[in-house]
Amino acid sequence: MRSSSVQNRKKNLFPWLEGLSLLAWGVLLLKYSFTGQYKLLIHPNYFSLVLGSGIVLLVLGIVKIKSILNHRQPNNSEHISLFPPGLGNSLLLIVAIAGLLIPPKVLTSQTAIKRGVGDLPLTTIQPQAFRTASKPEERSLIEWIRTINAYPEPDAYSGQPAKITGFVLHLSELPDDYIMLSRFVITCCAVDAYPIGIPVKLDTNRSNYPVDSWLTIEGMAIAETLPVKDRIETNTITEKRSVAIKAQAIKTIPTPADPYSYR
Amino acid sequence: MNQLHDAFTLFLSLLVEAMPFLLLGVLLSSSLLFLISEKQLIAKLPKNPILGSLAGSCIGFLFPVCECGNVPVARRLLLSRVPPSVAISFLLAAPTINPIVIWSTWIAFGDRPNIVIFRVLFSGAIATIVGCVFSIQSDTRFLLQTSFAKRLQPVVSVTSNKSPLLQSGTFLLGAGKSIPFDDSLSREIKSDKIRKSQSKWQLFFTNLLAEFSELGGMLVFGSAIAATIQVFVPREIILSLGQDTITSILAMMLLAAVVSICSTVDSFFALSFAATFTSGSLLAFLVFGPTIDIKSVGLMASIFKPKIIIYIFTLVAQLTFIFTLTYSYFF
Repeated sequence: MRSSSVQNRKKNLFPWLEGLSLLAWGVLLLKYSFTGQYKLLIHPNYFSLVLGSGIVLLVLGIVKIKSILNHRQPNNSEHISLFPPGLGNSLLLIVAIAGLLIPPKVLTSQTAIKRGVGDLPLTTIQPQAFRTASKPEERSLIEWIRTINAYPEPDAYSGQPAKITGFVLHLSELPDDYIMLSRFVITCCAVDAYPIGIPVKLDTNRSNYPVDSWLTIEGMAIAETLPVKDRIETNTITEKRSVAIKAQAIKTIPTPADPYSYR
Repeated sequence: MNQLHDAFTLFLSLLVEAMPFLLLGVLLSSSLLFLISEKQLIAKLPKNPILGSLAGSCIGFLFPVCECGNVPVARRLLLSRVPPSVAISFLLAAPTINPIVIWSTWIAFGDRPNIVIFRVLFSGAIATIVGCVFSIQSDTRFLLQTSFAKRLQPVVSVTSNKSPLLQSGTFLLGAGKSIPFDDSLSREIKSDKIRKSQSKWQLFFTNLLAEFSELGGMLVFGSAIAATIQVFVPREIILSLGQDTITSILAMMLLAAVVSICSTVDSFFALSFAATFTSGSLLAFLVFGPTIDIKSVGLMASIFKPKIIIYIFTLVAQLTFIFTLTYSYFF
């Protein structure tokens, strides 16, 4: 008798779980859409998809909960369940609540180093339109990398003015007065975020600019021979002539609201 | 702690990306309850094993779900007496050959149309070949998992030349013929009842919610594993596995099996490796991933005997390897 009443109560719990998890996911997606946090997770192209799903889920959740309150519980015998009942919904609900409580985090230098910062990350995707018209000082970090990829002759850029924004990365193979000014590029979502970076020559030791701080640097492009780590065999370091920026004015800025560059 | 937070962010990012596609898939597959009658579909299936397998791999176009969604559909097909060869080709092809997956692959790899086209071609070919192989075995009981085969048994064991008087089991008499009193009957009665007592909208709604919660749960699992691997296993380890043409294909197939992302979003995941891996190995990931991975093997175990799953696994792996190797030789 007692076990059957427990089972009954369980049965009554499942529809609630279902309704609440739908509702929670709807709220979560809408929260990401309206606070702009979605930019930390996915490419802005998908904004409408996220917003749309948020609305649909919210509506589904409300309809479901309304039908529970009206005691219209349709029996679902068509569906063959593979999960123990309630597990899928509980997982969804837990994740949605965790997502509401814990905001997404901006990827940091640690991830960048793990993924390998390169100056040539975009080569395998077909090269983008080469915009020669853009003034060098108006190029963003990603535009610099793109331009250098399209025409990889460091000396051609010497003397061009530059103004770029990114976060600081200390690479062990670079000399002490160099930082790597980096930025993540997102093609689809944070999972495929790819760090790009350009070496910046400082007048002082790099310890003045801690890792992960955001800087806007004004300076001039120079061609320098710098040690570069091999992307695959990370132990071999080769000397390579590359474009660097000689810093003239450095401004510390707060982490921008949209810290990633998008492809 | 920092790394854990990173992992959680990536986990959320995978989920937020996949959720709209999952919702779209579930909406479409539920609306099929209105649009397509299973019985009509089965009546139209060709009897020839090769054509049957080919048809099976194209049914995916009607059931646009990823690999976690097609197992329930395949079960439903088998219960509706579709030959196992057709069901197997459906199971292998449907996650790739369906409008949503082709669309999402196109979004991710639009600049490399080769990958999109060959992904579809290779998956279709593999599914048809494996389906043909299994059409040789006519007795379903050797393929299907015992408890699942039992649900089919009354039909499987009845051979046409036997007199209906000699059949074992319980029968109902009606309209001059005997109807076997088994699962299929109760199912029909039940679904009839459902159709009568509920409006179609309600059926749509319940199916939608059930599929969403089940597949959503699966998605949470898959994304958690993928995010953990991303954060705690440095990419160099995977990169160092695949240096030349052959090992890079093998490494990407291994990755596909381990990561188990739904096929609707796996092309975006593959994109993150686009810079470091050859087109051939990306193709291997995109072809192999949707058919076989850790998550879907669990689901498939609810239909097939373990031995059969190993056969399917081996066949698919070898075919993927040969096809993608040929691809990287020519392109």
